[in-house]
Amino acid sequence: MRELAEAIARSPHTIDVEFLSKGLHDLGGAHMREALQARVDDADPARHDAVLLGYALCGNGLHGLEARRVPLVAPRAHDCIALLMGSRQRYAAYFNAHAGVYFRSTGWLERGRDIEQLTRAAGTDFTLADLIAKYGDDNGRYLYDEFTRYQTQYQQLTFIETGLEVDDRFEQQARAEATEKHWAFDKICGDLTLFRRLVGGEWDPADFLVVAPGGRIVASYDDDIIKAEPLG
Amino acid sequence: MADLQKLHDAILNGDAKASAALAQEALGHNVPPIELVQHAMVPAMDEVGRRFECQDYFVPELLLSARAMKAALELLRPLLAASGAQPAGTVVIGTVQGDLHDIGKNLVAALLEGGGFEVIDLGADVAPEKFVETVRGTRANIVCLSALLTVTMLSMRTTIEGLKAAGLRDRVKVLVGGAPVTRQFAEEIGADGYGENASVAVSLARTLTTAATIG
Repeated sequence: MRELAEAIARSPHTIDVEFLSKGLHDLGGAHMREALQARVDDADPARHDAVLLGYALCGNGLHGLEARRVPLVAPRAHDCIALLMGSRQRYAAYFNAHAGVYFRSTGWLERGRDIEQLTRAAGTDFTLADLIAKYGDDNGRYLYDEFTRYQTQYQQLTFIETGLEVDDRFEQQARAEATEKHWAFDKICGDLTLFRRLVGGEWDPADFLVVAPGGRIVASYDDDIIKAEPLG
Repeated sequence: MADLQKLHDAILNGDAKASAALAQEALGHNVPPIELVQHAMVPAMDEVGRRFECQDYFVPELLLSARAMKAALELLRPLLAASGAQPAGTVVIGTVQGDLHDIGKNLVAALLEGGGFEVIDLGADVAPEKFVETVRGTRANIVCLSALLTVTMLSMRTTIEGLKAAGLRDRVKVLVGGAPVTRQFAEEIGADGYGENASVAVSLARTLTTAATIG
């Protein structure tokens, strides 16, 4: 939230802003798209020139999103983390070099509680005790291992420093989490250029997709990540 | 037949200990292993799949039934092999390169095993070359690729291209699945099948292998 707010404050345009629940994409692509579509449809063509999406493709959460009355603008990225890194190319290079990394940033840590509520609604948040209570000791433990094993294959936590940090409390939180889980810790320098260009109206087609009313966003399954497709 | 019904129910209810004990007991009574598979275990897993489709069962129930089925299958496998029983097909399965998420893949692997397939599970973060090498070195006729991220699912295309380049594409049917994967994507990369959820995988694999045998 801080990241986008900073970019909005510097934009030459007048921007109405709405922040949605952070864990939306944990609900699955179709649910995220429905939630976004409802908000997007609230935009008023008499008042708004465009709806700017501060999202990446995010598990296909943008796939199928329709521009009905107002154009949509979305950054070309698979993962919102690319927006904090300044380019999808930099994200791809980091991702390819580090399979099994969790990312943290000030905005992420500050708004962490919200995501827990949503994952609970999605049924993916449970403790070992919950599972044992429901399925018995043996089966409960088995399920817990199955559901959490992939996390044990994650080996690193990377904190993205954006320059907006008031102090080092969130970096310290991230370091503590890495230590607790016996993960490696890395800190990289963030780059908020994509946010600034998004809200500044600098939509270079190489980095942003603009969809006019009558079109929808779809995954392109190539380096462009997303493309426009006519409705109908 | 009473024992077969009990084994069927133990699998349906996800009771791995009972499932293993009942299979052991049936073997003690000289029930042929293939009969246990065909008349108790496969029907039980088919019922599990049906309940999942109707949303009576969810992922935890699927995992527990698969576990119970595997507990019985472990006992039968050496006997089935010795009797010369042929699997429904041989599947090479894995989560594609760069992706560590394995819950869905494990579920599909377990359901395929329960459906009578021989399953070679390569784990997660599997490079295209590894899939190619395994297909080449085995009698595999099905390859299942899983991904949870839009960024990694593109590796499915690379894997299919790798199979083509190695001259192995015609030998196998390729099935793809995972949260971000769509039917359109599956068609675009030239996969033979797409499963929207884990329970579809077994019927899809059966259809494709039967078609392959006839073809």
